[in-house]
Amino acid sequence: MDSTNLAQEITTHLLSRGLHPSPTWLTTTFLPTIRPTTPLPALKQTALFRLLASDITQTLQRTPSSVFPPDIHNATIRERRLAGPIAVQVLDIEDIGRSRWSQVEALEAAERGETTKGREIIRAVRAEDGGEGADADADVAGSGGPHKLVLQDAQGVNVFGIELTAVEGVGVGMNIGAKIVLRDVLVARGVVLLEPGSVKVEGGKIEGVHKAWREGRKERLKSAAGITERG
Amino acid sequence: MGGRILCVAEKPSIARAVAQHLGGQVQARNVPGIQWVKNYEFNYTFPPWGACTVIFTSVAGHLHTIDFDTRYRSWNSCQPGQLFDAPVVTSIDDDKKAIARNIETQARGARTLFIWTDCDREGEHIGTEIRDVALKSNPRLEVCRARFSNIERAHVVNAARNPVPLDERQANAVAARIELDLRIGAAFTRMQTLQLRPMVEQMLESKVISYGSCQFPTLGFVVDRYFRVKNFVPEQFWHIRVMHRKDDIDVTFNWKRGHLFDRMAVTIIFERCIMARTAKVVKMQKKPTSKWKPLPLTTVELQKMGSRFLRMDSQRVMKIAEELYTKGWISYPRTETDQFDRGMDLRKLVEKQCPDGQWGPYAQGLMNGGFNQPRQGRNNDKAHPPIHPVNHVAASHLRDDEERRVYEFIVRRFLACCSEDARGEATDVEIQYGTEIFRTHGLLVLQRNYLDVYPYDKWVSSQQLPNFTLGETFEPTEAKMLDGKTTAPGFLTEPELIALMDANGIGTDATMAEHIAKIKERAYVMTRPRGRATGGGTGLQEFIPTTLGVALIEGYDNVGFETSLGKPFLRKEMELLMKAICAGTTTRNDVVHQSLEQYREVFVRTTRQINVLKEVIIPKIHSPSGPARLNASHLTNLEQLEGYTSLLLHDTLHDSSALDPAARVGRAGRSSERADPVALCAIRGAGFGGPSVANPARHVLDRRTRADAGTEHLRRGLRHFSACVSSARSPPQFGTEETREGFRVTFWCGDGAGHDVRSSGD
Repeated sequence: MDSTNLAQEITTHLLSRGLHPSPTWLTTTFLPTIRPTTPLPALKQTALFRLLASDITQTLQRTPSSVFPPDIHNATIRERRLAGPIAVQVLDIEDIGRSRWSQVEALEAAERGETTKGREIIRAVRAEDGGEGADADADVAGSGGPHKLVLQDAQGVNVFGIELTAVEGVGVGMNIGAKIVLRDVLVARGVVLLEPGSVKVEGGKIEGVHKAWREGRKERLKSAAGITERG
Repeated sequence: MGGRILCVAEKPSIARAVAQHLGGQVQARNVPGIQWVKNYEFNYTFPPWGACTVIFTSVAGHLHTIDFDTRYRSWNSCQPGQLFDAPVVTSIDDDKKAIARNIETQARGARTLFIWTDCDREGEHIGTEIRDVALKSNPRLEVCRARFSNIERAHVVNAARNPVPLDERQANAVAARIELDLRIGAAFTRMQTLQLRPMVEQMLESKVISYGSCQFPTLGFVVDRYFRVKNFVPEQFWHIRVMHRKDDIDVTFNWKRGHLFDRMAVTIIFERCIMARTAKVVKMQKKPTSKWKPLPLTTVELQKMGSRFLRMDSQRVMKIAEELYTKGWISYPRTETDQFDRGMDLRKLVEKQCPDGQWGPYAQGLMNGGFNQPRQGRNNDKAHPPIHPVNHVAASHLRDDEERRVYEFIVRRFLACCSEDARGEATDVEIQYGTEIFRTHGLLVLQRNYLDVYPYDKWVSSQQLPNFTLGETFEPTEAKMLDGKTTAPGFLTEPELIALMDANGIGTDATMAEHIAKIKERAYVMTRPRGRATGGGTGLQEFIPTTLGVALIEGYDNVGFETSLGKPFLRKEMELLMKAICAGTTTRNDVVHQSLEQYREVFVRTTRQINVLKEVIIPKIHSPSGPARLNASHLTNLEQLEGYTSLLLHDTLHDSSALDPAARVGRAGRSSERADPVALCAIRGAGFGGPSVANPARHVLDRRTRADAGTEHLRRGLRHFSACVSSARSPPQFGTEETREGFRVTFWCGDGAGHDVRSSGD
């Protein structure tokens, strides 16, 4: 298969997931790295995987329908629907159902290796290959929400999203940089209202951003709660 | 057969009571060398042995004591770490020698030793001590024990007729615990005292900074909560409330989400509710509901309820319960069991309460058909039934009001257990308004049942709801977006502390109250009535750690969280091992060895990093702005003032070169004749005996102190106090005033609260 056809095949596949790759990314970033002998289905998977791990402001095509409209922040518009599909990446997520301080307490207990079950204090056993503290976050991830997110589209516009009804895959345990595709989504006063019917979490993450977000999470929660560290 | 049977109880009161049940009017003979232990002699026919002569005597708790070999007893004799393996010797305390001699004497010529110690682990161990002493003078003695859990007559007779063997495993578990407590306690106490005491001398009441493997986690819970309260940050939240008036009834619907911590989100959601205009009933459910009667009473529950409803601390409640048991009014008060044996005749026990003036008619109602088998809890220690009344006693025959309150609680709880659950009808209505669900709940109490005899539970009907039908739509009368603030948790209360200890395996039901009392006695924590700041007050005590208490826990946490002595983990493991010994899955030696190794590791790490510990303590206690980081803005609440005043007094003590060192080490109250009165005043005043109840902001140091000496020392201390806070925005003022009793020192701080330090001469 020649490279034009190949690019076409892959684009079609990605479009079916709501992701419109930019031709530049496809031809100059992605295609040169693949081995020509790789079967097509595997290539499609690889392309999707790479795209989900990328920063979409660099890798997705900007068309009027695949990004937020220019007046997206206009708060005088009570509500409107955007047909999309609009692919966005998650830059921040916050559980607004719990006080920030209680989240700080939970994080600190997890750092000490403790969790509580009712009144009992339990020593959490660290996973052998704990990686970047994934286990410590697990409990916090189980929190109820709803969540407030910062969503960024392919042109780099940031918009708040509120989880009106619990959406699978959305939680403080999710990766930063994870891709979400919005279809026929409700926007009220410049805020995207997330509901299962209009939201699909595709996953992925942006490694560096994710790491920085994790590391800074406790401090951000603290400062949002209005705590200033004493000397 | 016949012959002589030697019976030995754990304490004299039990010996007398059981002897009277078995022998009627029995003769009491004095025991040489110890006045308050008696030997009761009578004849009794035991089914296994026939008609026998019985000598019924008692010990007074443990006979044996273990200590290190004399070479290791002095504090400077060895490195504290050596105490993990130093040889220990078992001996009989001087004050127990007469008791042991009595048992030896009486064992001679007896055919059987029949042990009547309390049926718990500790009692089993005391039983083996008695056996060992008796076998010394009579190696051929047959040994058995009585299984009983109250000293009601029929129960005692039944126990006398059915002797069982001693449970060696339980005794071994206790032996292991005793050895571990001695070694670990002594090693850490010596180490931390030697290392830390020079730094905190002026803060300290006694010469020892004691360590106990239960004490520290207990203290840890208090410190942990203290920091949660202190560090707490209030946050604003927002919520939506919907009101609707129907059939002349105003109904409030609450947001299913509770509240959210984001104003923008709530505003947007609120607007969408308003835009929706109408709400729709999506759930309308009426169903019978009941409030379950309480579970049969365990020790932990009794202690918790005691502090909550009877206004006594856990130790006091246990002491009174112990007395009620000894007098034969209630069953053994140390039990984990919350299920009554099916075979127990509970009706008979209910019937005994019928004559009572207060709950008699209720008990009669149970007898007339209201009786219901109690709920079964999940715990059974296989030794004792739940705490229950075994006999009725009229309130006038009880010693005082406290005894009456405890007895009344136990009886009411028992009657409640034998009653029916309270019944009612619950109504749940949910409406959808915009995207959101709002709900309201109604309760109609139909039959109070057990609630009639158990005023400690509350369950009352709510306002009646109008009729809603599923699918009905309406335009709510009012919808509001409201805001509020999170509030800090309270300091730990005793019921909470007991619950934490229980859940984390710190101490047993029998010892929890002691551990709590111990950390108070060591001045690691202080208590005060909850709600004092707001003027309300429920009589519940709350715990606040002292500067020293905070420093110790923080210090150990800094040495290593994993196995910090302030955390419950190590002790919990030890407690599980005790249980394993009782179950026969491990042995005493293995357990001692294993636990010692664990604690030795912490010990080694702590000594290696002792500076970490010191670093926490030094700034807290020595810096001019310690304890509790003193400055005027921090001086607004009482507990810091308490820390302040005790610092002041201890500085007074420290400054005085004329003090007899013995006075400082002397136990307050024991050696008052010899000790320097000022020193004593300071020593005893460490906790100020707690704030006085009438005016909690006022501390009265009511000690026998010579007015002249005391005044001078206190003046000096107050100058120091004043200097300490000279940088403060509103330095405290103080004045002294001679009074008839001695003198009074009052100082005022920024908050305007006056604080008295009064000394009365004698």
